[in-house]
Amino acid sequence: MAAFLAAASGRAPLPRLFSRGILALVLGVYTIYQLGPFLWLATMSVRTTAEISADPYAWPSPMHLDQFRTAWVDSDFATYFWNSTMVVVGAVAVLTFIGAAAAHALARYRFRGNRLIYGILFSSIIFPPQITLISLYQILVDYNLYNSLFGLALVYISLQLPLTVYLLEGFFARIPQDLFDAAKMDGYGDLEIFWRIVLPVGMPAIATTLILNFIQLWNEFLFAVVLITDPDKRTLPIGIRAFMGDHFQDIGMIATGVMISVIPVIVVYVFFSEKLIRGMTAGAIK
Amino acid sequence: MAVVKLDKIVKRYGGGGPVVVEDVDLTIDDGEFMVLLGPSGCGKSTTLRMIAGLESISGGTLSIDGRVVNDVPAKDRDIAMVFQSYALYPHMSVADNLAFGLRRRSIPGGEIERRVKEVAAILGLAPLLARKPSALSGGQRQRVALGRAMVREPQVFLFDEPLSNLDAALRVNTRSEIIKQHHRLGSTMIYVTHDQVEAMTMGTRICVMNAGKVAQIGAPLDVYWQPANTFVARFLGSPPMNLMDATLTAATRRASSPALDAPLARWSDGVLQARDGRKVTLGVRAEDMAIDPAALDGAPGGRVTGRTIAVEPLGAETLLLLELPGGGEITARLPRHVTAAPDQEVELFFRADAAYLFDVETGDAIAPLETGAAAVRAAVQRRTH
Ligand SMILES: Nc1ncnc2c1ncn2[C@@H]1O[C@H](COP(=O)(O)OP(=O)(O)OP(=O)(O)O)[C@@H](O)[C@H]1O
Ligand SMILES: [Mg+2]
Repeated sequence: MAAFLAAASGRAPLPRLFSRGILALVLGVYTIYQLGPFLWLATMSVRTTAEISADPYAWPSPMHLDQFRTAWVDSDFATYFWNSTMVVVGAVAVLTFIGAAAAHALARYRFRGNRLIYGILFSSIIFPPQITLISLYQILVDYNLYNSLFGLALVYISLQLPLTVYLLEGFFARIPQDLFDAAKMDGYGDLEIFWRIVLPVGMPAIATTLILNFIQLWNEFLFAVVLITDPDKRTLPIGIRAFMGDHFQDIGMIATGVMISVIPVIVVYVFFSEKLIRGMTAGAIK
Repeated sequence: MAVVKLDKIVKRYGGGGPVVVEDVDLTIDDGEFMVLLGPSGCGKSTTLRMIAGLESISGGTLSIDGRVVNDVPAKDRDIAMVFQSYALYPHMSVADNLAFGLRRRSIPGGEIERRVKEVAAILGLAPLLARKPSALSGGQRQRVALGRAMVREPQVFLFDEPLSNLDAALRVNTRSEIIKQHHRLGSTMIYVTHDQVEAMTMGTRICVMNAGKVAQIGAPLDVYWQPANTFVARFLGSPPMNLMDATLTAATRRASSPALDAPLARWSDGVLQARDGRKVTLGVRAEDMAIDPAALDGAPGGRVTGRTIAVEPLGAETLLLLELPGGGEITARLPRHVTAAPDQEVELFFRADAAYLFDVETGDAIAPLETGAAAVRAAVQRRTH
């Protein structure tokens, strides 16, 4: 923004100033459009339902921060949060590691069937994942994984693996071969090269898939609601859904619950944001 | 310290793919600086990468100090390589780049640090040790790449066109740096380039390659003065050696054509008799051409006549391009004051001992009486006096 202002106040030709002005306007409107509902939700999360009914758009005063405590303690949000964390962190960790290893193998090694495997993986990205829902349900029941967080994590891994491999393969394939050759000459074997060269150099791409997978799975509703019925094993999205059923009138508490589920996504994004990682590994590939 | 021996080495990409390196026989002696020289795509890098263990060997045997290493993986060959792209690890500091190869070899930490410091001091990298490669200039990266090979103290150093990304001045500096390090370490070094100046100035011996095969192996001046075939004759020397069609007459000891007449003083009667009346290729280097017959010192010399295509004044000298009546072009490197009008007829002279003969079909040199080091000495003497 600062750079933008500086450029605008400089001696840029008028048509360019104009087009930049339009751009800023569009961006501004779009940002408000995107952020508005979220900010509204945030204000509601610290207001009581009575206050909200009186004036839906008012600024919260006083702030009822204790609503978070109530949701967390009295409404099992702690359990949902813990379940979500287990499933999503576990799945994302496995996804990242297996996805990176598979992507490296596909990008770097010439072997029979390499492109065939890649093609199959890629084709599975095209289909909507919902088409697997019924057969997955049956398979999980058969293997005693129905209604289990472990089973859900396995499903999540298989859902996100193709896209993860696809994104990472594209990036890994652009790492210069000389880097691998140099490491070989330096005495390193294939596994060590993966660990010490591919992972660090591929960090920007890995961080991207990590954020993507985390957000996707943290918000995942459809598979969770079909494959989990036990209230103790609910993840946050189904927890909130159930919460809405119980307290349909309590808009304030629902907003609080949603905020609880959104906060980790923001934290993860800030932590692994691509820009941050780019800064850390500047000039990794040129 | 190692002898690297290539015995009928073949490289074929894919199952039945084209042969890109064919029957290469080459022995690199202990402490030697061998240059692999050849045009783009002739298989230099492939040969080097087979020695490194980065590319599988399709045929023949590769041995280091008598041990066959065809199937020894790269990491166990104790060879270091400097890449054209430098291939520095982007996520590591200069110090870590240097130490990376040592850490793998269970060398104690103190020793690693000592060696890294030593090499950094030799190459002037000490102030840069904490930096990442992205914060270095091209020349500094090149030195880190060199240092990364040096700290390892390997048996053999391999270089694949390490200077081609540097500007001209830096290239000259780094060239002498590498030569200096070769003298200091005394290790076996194999150096790939397509730059003949690098080859001539750096190599103890040059292996000229063409289309996957060895065209000639020898000391730089040997190869320059006694090219084994027309390929080497034209590849070494700038501008390339002039090759002209002629017919050999044994009785008069001459090679001639409508444009050309040259006495053949260096070849024995037997050699000339065997080719009497046949076509030959006569070679004369551009710098051996003179426009003034006085350059012959009254000795019998050759002459060639052509029409001017172009005059290229380079400052210190002038290049004259002529078209011969029977077809073909020749270039003469003449004193700077020479001028000629376009399409003007010009006669050039050359000394009898500046002429080379090649077989028309095979392109192989027809060897004169004197060969080997004696011939080189004689040739050098003839031309410097
Ligand atoms: N992976 C490969 N598959 C098939 N052919 C290849 C492969 N790598 C190289 N070649 C071919 O092998 C030949 C020799 O290549 P090489 O890289 O050894 O040439 P070079 O002499 O190093 O050339 P340059 O000076 O351009 O680096 C070339 O014709 C090239 O096309
Ligand atoms: Mg090459």
